[in-house]
Amino acid sequence: MAAFGQTTAPPPARIDELIDSRLLAKLDQLDVLSRKIFAGKLQGERRSKKRGISVEFADYRHYSHGDDLRFVDWNIYARLDKLFLKMFLEEEDLSLILVIDGSASMDWGNPGKFVFSQRLAMALGYIGLANQNRVSLYCFGSEGLQMLPSLRGRRRTQEMGKWLLDLRPSTAVGPTTEQVVPSPFNDAMRSIALARQGKGVMVILSDFLLKEGYEKGLRYLSGGGFDTFCLQVLSPEEIDPATHGFAGDLRLTDVEDNDHAEVTISAALLRKYKENLSAYCGKFREFCVRRGMTHVTIDTGTDMTTLILDYLRKRGLLK
Amino acid sequence: MNWLRETFLTPAAGFYLALAVIPPLVLLYFLRLRRKPQAISTTLLWQQAIEDLRANAPFQRLRKSILLFLQLLALILLAIAIMQPQLRSSAQKGGKRVIMIDNSASMTATDGKDASGKVSGEVTRLEEAKQHARDLIEDIYRGGIFSSQAGETMVVSFSEQAEILQRFTDSKSQLLAAIDRIEPTHGETSLHEALKLARAYTANKLSPTGEFVPNTEDPPGIELYTDGRIKNLDQEVSRETIHFVPIGSTSVDNVGISAISVDRPFDRPTSVAVFAGLVNFNSEEIACDIQLSVNGTARGIQETKVPGATINPSTNELVPGRANVVFVPFEQPQDAVIEVANLRKDILLADNVVHTVIPAPKQLSVGLVSQDFKTSLVARALEGMALRSLVPMSPADFDARVAQGTTDAFDVVVFDNCKAATLPAGRYLTFGPTPPVPGLTEYGEADGQVVLNTKDESPAMRFVSMDSVFVAHMHSVQAGDQVEVLAEGSTGPLILSVSTGSIHCIHVTFDPLDSNWVYQRSFLIFIMNSVETLGRAGEPLTEQGYKCGDAFTARIPANATNVSIQSPDGKNNPVSVTESGQAVWGPIPISGLYTMTWNTPDSGAKSSRTFAVNLVSMTEGRVDVAPELKLGNETVTGDATAAHHYVSLWPWAIALCVALLMVEWWIYHRKLYL
Repeated sequence: MAAFGQTTAPPPARIDELIDSRLLAKLDQLDVLSRKIFAGKLQGERRSKKRGISVEFADYRHYSHGDDLRFVDWNIYARLDKLFLKMFLEEEDLSLILVIDGSASMDWGNPGKFVFSQRLAMALGYIGLANQNRVSLYCFGSEGLQMLPSLRGRRRTQEMGKWLLDLRPSTAVGPTTEQVVPSPFNDAMRSIALARQGKGVMVILSDFLLKEGYEKGLRYLSGGGFDTFCLQVLSPEEIDPATHGFAGDLRLTDVEDNDHAEVTISAALLRKYKENLSAYCGKFREFCVRRGMTHVTIDTGTDMTTLILDYLRKRGLLK
Repeated sequence: MNWLRETFLTPAAGFYLALAVIPPLVLLYFLRLRRKPQAISTTLLWQQAIEDLRANAPFQRLRKSILLFLQLLALILLAIAIMQPQLRSSAQKGGKRVIMIDNSASMTATDGKDASGKVSGEVTRLEEAKQHARDLIEDIYRGGIFSSQAGETMVVSFSEQAEILQRFTDSKSQLLAAIDRIEPTHGETSLHEALKLARAYTANKLSPTGEFVPNTEDPPGIELYTDGRIKNLDQEVSRETIHFVPIGSTSVDNVGISAISVDRPFDRPTSVAVFAGLVNFNSEEIACDIQLSVNGTARGIQETKVPGATINPSTNELVPGRANVVFVPFEQPQDAVIEVANLRKDILLADNVVHTVIPAPKQLSVGLVSQDFKTSLVARALEGMALRSLVPMSPADFDARVAQGTTDAFDVVVFDNCKAATLPAGRYLTFGPTPPVPGLTEYGEADGQVVLNTKDESPAMRFVSMDSVFVAHMHSVQAGDQVEVLAEGSTGPLILSVSTGSIHCIHVTFDPLDSNWVYQRSFLIFIMNSVETLGRAGEPLTEQGYKCGDAFTARIPANATNVSIQSPDGKNNPVSVTESGQAVWGPIPISGLYTMTWNTPDSGAKSSRTFAVNLVSMTEGRVDVAPELKLGNETVTGDATAAHHYVSLWPWAIALCVALLMVEWWIYHRKLYL
């Protein structure tokens, strides 16, 4: 019998285990929604604030020397005898950055949080690739930060899937380990913030249950013009331990830092735990809102199709 | 530490158990709990929850140890149960107890409390005592969760004698029925026999092997319902726990008849003199009307003042006032029932009436000492009387009887012109020679005597005319101080009466053949008067006196049938008769007149005999309730409240312990506390 919360399902070995083909077909209709119009390196399917070449009129301005005469509005010239240049909204590609928390705490729960994050990243990444967005993937854990460089186009789906399948969560700290490993979250966020170019949408998949706090890491991301989505992935065992057989006199061991807590599970303790979890999530949400980020709590028990087609659309990540 | 011994039967056992189990439990609890290791994604929220819970629970330490607390409490209760705690309660439960109810005469006093606790004047003390006993039985055997602990009870009533009405049983109905069977008696109160009976039933017990072995259990508790007026109580030794429930009030309003005596005066054997003694237990003088009745017909009422009772300053005991009533003698030659009644109503009616039965005149047995029985005129005169027996004998025979000591078989011995060497105690009629009786001194002889004077008021001389009697020769006798001259002759007494205490003698100083008296009717009358007077006078007239608790014994025809005794309350009681004709019935319950009847087998005629039973007891006459009993050196104080006892509490402790363990189990599994 598996221990409480231990992920029992084997990690996915194939891409179709990461994402269902039927779901894949439905994802073609979706696109990543950004609340801002971002400047990108390549022309893409994304409307940009930059005036450029497109079919969508934006404004007029006086002609100046050197301007492309193809954009002069000759009808205006005929009427007013002045040269005005038509300006169009330029469509740019979207930079979609998917960050997966690969720490040991993510390898927990049923369904496991890490596997769930892999699948969700696969789905979101596919949507990004299918919409000609520039998709970058990061995974941070105790071993450091792994990165898959910018991908673009549907044909890069296999490459992205293979990269995701190769990801493994950090190993849990053994009970005899004395060394406490610091959380890599802050370093990872700093590295990502420094490495990013341009603007785009960043989706962070993590449980955000960080003893050192998430504030410092997320501050790196708050000023860069990224539309940041913090998807807090929690397992059902974390959300409601009582209904999943969490009982008895226990010596709880934190898989990341080998910290211990001796508890006798009781109704009062469970009630207090849930109150704390709710408060923690609420505080996290408030933090995100204040910094223009979007916080979404996701139960790993949620059906992926429902999550993507319904839940995330409502929360403004997809359209 | 008395409370500890009273509250716990075996405190040491409980202490040892507590010492053995409680410290290890606490030790085990302070050792770290072996917890199940559990890997978890993060302890962040759990640590916060623990800290919050501690911060929000001021009694967190206690709450954390609630299981320890409950387990300790359960163990302590278990230890207390081992100590066998007991609670002083209203009725003894468990073990053996004896309910002793006094049904003596004083318990018929009408100052008992009714069901509402008030003295109505119609409830006797016995009824109140029975009600107390019934309440006790109801209390003990009312059933309930631990009714199996009620134990066994025996019911004993006691007065002069004790009677077991119900042996040890736990049957409530049998015990109640036994209490209902208790009837009042007019006997005195004696606890001795009741205690003997109770001890006899508890001294031994039946072993599993069917043998009687000494009982090592604690002696039974005794519930004693009495007014406390028990005679010879200081001679008892209490080995049992006695709970004395005093019954009755402190009222001393009682004037009783303490004695009755009926005599026939020596000089008037057909008359009856009645004497009665009165005792007054009130502190003030009481005037009473004392009524005398003969065969149910009032003969007279005499007012008597009985002085009040006093306290003996040296013994501090109550000394009742006493008075005697003497009724004027009245003629009653036949058998009769004499009743003396105190017409004043007080709380004890049993000693207000006394009876006595005057038997029918008895037939006399007469011995005649004569030299020649055949020619004796005295013998002829005696043969004409209705005597039971007339035994002739010579002086030598009489002397032989004197030597054998058998002269008391005769009511009267008549000496016809002869004398004995010595005269033992008895009644004698002598003619001729002067008998050897103190007070009679013969100093010679005289001739030619006429009767000068006779004492007609003497019963021997009643209707005896000696006017024409001439005596030719007589013995001159000098009469002493104790001698009464019944007939005076010319020169000396002709007939004398001597009473020296043990000897009653009527002496005729001449041989009747030396006179013409033998030819006169007065001679026969004189002999009859003298024999009757000597034979009956001076003896108590009353039948054998019985008292309550005694047994009647009477000799009736051996083959008599339908023998029964009717008691004063009208009940007919069958009587057993032995083959020899001895009828026995008892014990006598109440005072009054009892009539034994039987059918004579030959004639079929119905015969009867009446007995009188009286309550003449100073102990029972004092009716104020005793506040305490002194049994030997021990003093038992009366406790009018319900009987106390100790209720075992260990079953409750065990039950509470089990309940606590269930709560502990529930809390543990509900994880109510950290």
